[in-house]
Amino acid sequence: MKKILTIISMLLVVLSLTACAPKQEEQVVITFKQNKPEIDEALQAYAAAYEEATGVKVNVVSCGGGSCTLGDMLKADYAAGEMPDIFPIDGPDSYKQWEAIIADLSGEKWVSDTSVEYVVDGKVVGFPVAVEGWGMAYNADLLKKAGIDPSTLNNYQAYVDAFVKLDGMKAELGIDSVVSMAAGPGMYWVTAHHNFNSLLSNGVSYGDLSVANKFLAGNIDQTRLNDYANWVSLLFKYADKTVLTTGNYDSQVGAFLNQKAVFLHQGNWVDGNLTAATFDMAFAPHGSSTAVTDGIFVSAPAWYVVNKDSKNYQAALDFLNNLVYTELGQKYMVEDAGMIPAFVNIELKPKGKLSQSVQSWTADGKVYSWNQYLFAGEFRDNVLGPIYDQLAQGAVSVDKFVELFKTALTDNAK
Amino acid sequence: MSKFIETFKKMGNDSLNQDKRNQKIVFWLFLFPSLFSFAMVQIIPFAIGIYYSFTNWSATAQFSIDFVGLKNYFDAFQDPAFLYATIITSVYTILNIMLVNVIAFSLALLVTSQLKGRNIYRAGFFLPNIIGGIILGYIWQFIFNYFVPRIAAMAGFTYLAENLMLGNSNTAILAMVIVSTWQSAGYIMMIYVAALQNVPRDLIEAAQIDGANAWQRFRNITVPMVSQAFTVTLFLTLVNSFKQFDVNVSLTNGGPSTMFMGRAIKGTTLLAMNISDTSTISLNTAQAQAKAIIFFLVLVTFSLIQVYISKKREVEL
Repeated sequence: MKKILTIISMLLVVLSLTACAPKQEEQVVITFKQNKPEIDEALQAYAAAYEEATGVKVNVVSCGGGSCTLGDMLKADYAAGEMPDIFPIDGPDSYKQWEAIIADLSGEKWVSDTSVEYVVDGKVVGFPVAVEGWGMAYNADLLKKAGIDPSTLNNYQAYVDAFVKLDGMKAELGIDSVVSMAAGPGMYWVTAHHNFNSLLSNGVSYGDLSVANKFLAGNIDQTRLNDYANWVSLLFKYADKTVLTTGNYDSQVGAFLNQKAVFLHQGNWVDGNLTAATFDMAFAPHGSSTAVTDGIFVSAPAWYVVNKDSKNYQAALDFLNNLVYTELGQKYMVEDAGMIPAFVNIELKPKGKLSQSVQSWTADGKVYSWNQYLFAGEFRDNVLGPIYDQLAQGAVSVDKFVELFKTALTDNAK
Repeated sequence: MSKFIETFKKMGNDSLNQDKRNQKIVFWLFLFPSLFSFAMVQIIPFAIGIYYSFTNWSATAQFSIDFVGLKNYFDAFQDPAFLYATIITSVYTILNIMLVNVIAFSLALLVTSQLKGRNIYRAGFFLPNIIGGIILGYIWQFIFNYFVPRIAAMAGFTYLAENLMLGNSNTAILAMVIVSTWQSAGYIMMIYVAALQNVPRDLIEAAQIDGANAWQRFRNITVPMVSQAFTVTLFLTLVNSFKQFDVNVSLTNGGPSTMFMGRAIKGTTLLAMNISDTSTISLNTAQAQAKAIIFFLVLVTFSLIQVYISKKREVEL
């Protein structure tokens, strides 16, 4: 009996070894890692369709949101010698991490069809994942009820008037607060990434880095900073305190969805969470300036880069081209994943109302850049984030906020 | 395997000398699997970690790894966030050790008394320990943000209703202590229960006959008799509080911010989380490694001192 068992187990071992051995005709398998869990399902479906059409298998791994950090996963993959063929970067920080293995894509066809590709020293290295935008998302129905015309909301004073008016009509409108804003732990990206960009880009023509570079060099434009601090303080003053100081993404977006707040400080990516919304909505510009700033912040949030050491290099390039130039790829990007395409040749339009709003602002050319990535992630998360948090808690005054901000920016330049 | 050993044993019968040698071989053969895995997942990574802490290693595709001497260590000590994390971790650890042990010991006394349904209580108190720290953190986040203020408002405690516990760094630390006590008190209680059940009845009875009151019996018999358990529980709570990470991340996420040395920094980031932040947010992997080595040394020192002191108090029968 024992002998039989031994023989069976030995057979099993041999069998499993042969099963691992490469098949005679090796299939090309691209590994594609990306950090947007919300598009995972659509992407998996697209990958399956792509394999059917071309015979190239695309192994999609999504890692993002709260439960998975792509940066850590990539480090582990790199250490294991299993770096994916395509992976995303979100700015200079992550570009620098992988600089040594990122391929130059300047010769690709799609480069001429987009304006938001990732460029380093004149070389195109990043394929824009999508176009995203943020401003002040508003509930058009509630504004109408309050008799406020959203097109007038484009400077500080207009927002002050609107907020005061809405705050006085809380009971009538059935809202808890005017703005749904989050500045607490875990939400520093809302303040120190997105809101911070108002200081650097609001009212500055697209692609103009002069204002941002001045702050980067530690030359503080005091008037601009003061105006900006007033804007931050206005947003915090009219926000629900629980959501502001301790809320997470769900509670912030939830307040807007349930019509408990008129404004939401987020971007068009919330469309996916607002499918149940029964009201009309769109974006209005930020009011961080006393002058009129008629535009919202639009750019690509991340870029796919190709691993130049990959043995499937050409297959990876083909896959990216397929996304832009085939019906299958376009349908996935726009209709299934609900993203705003970053390529001019694509004519499909996303269904989300806020995404449509971003598209219409873009079509009118009323857009400002994203310049916050010029500052290191560590500076924004560890230095600026806690300063906003202090103001949100009411622990510091607006003057102290300006002072802390100034010190932080000056220290950063050193 | 048994045949294998039998062969060895047969061979060993040849001479006493050979027998001893064979025993040694068997000894190491049995030890090998655990030694091998311990070396692979503990010793070797630890040694590599020490090496990396002296370099500019980034864990990413970098052009070269250069030796930078003690730079990472000096930088770590000059980082206000790291200094703050050290202080706040010590505060948290002291509070946590006290609260967990006091509550665990009280619960243990309760469930070893003549209380009705004490087995159900034992299981009930132990239950939170089975829930993972991350989930626990999110559950308690909800309780602190929505449940507590509403109950407080109904009960008329306006201060609690208007000031969220997680909205201020001092009370947020307290919130963390509450959650981790809730989580680990049941586990520590089980250790005390085992110790309390081993206290000889005859000693207590003898004391009773001699006229010792309940407090005297508790103070002079029960406590010395369970002091071995104190060594274990204090060690466990010390190490676990020091290494606290999951509840920290999910409950407070290192915030809210507070002022320290003239700047705004995250107010509840404990050491383990500060190390992880150094690696994932500051992207300074080598410095995070240096901080981890410092963390290790501090933890070893403190726990050795604690075990030494507790051991001295133990009573041997």
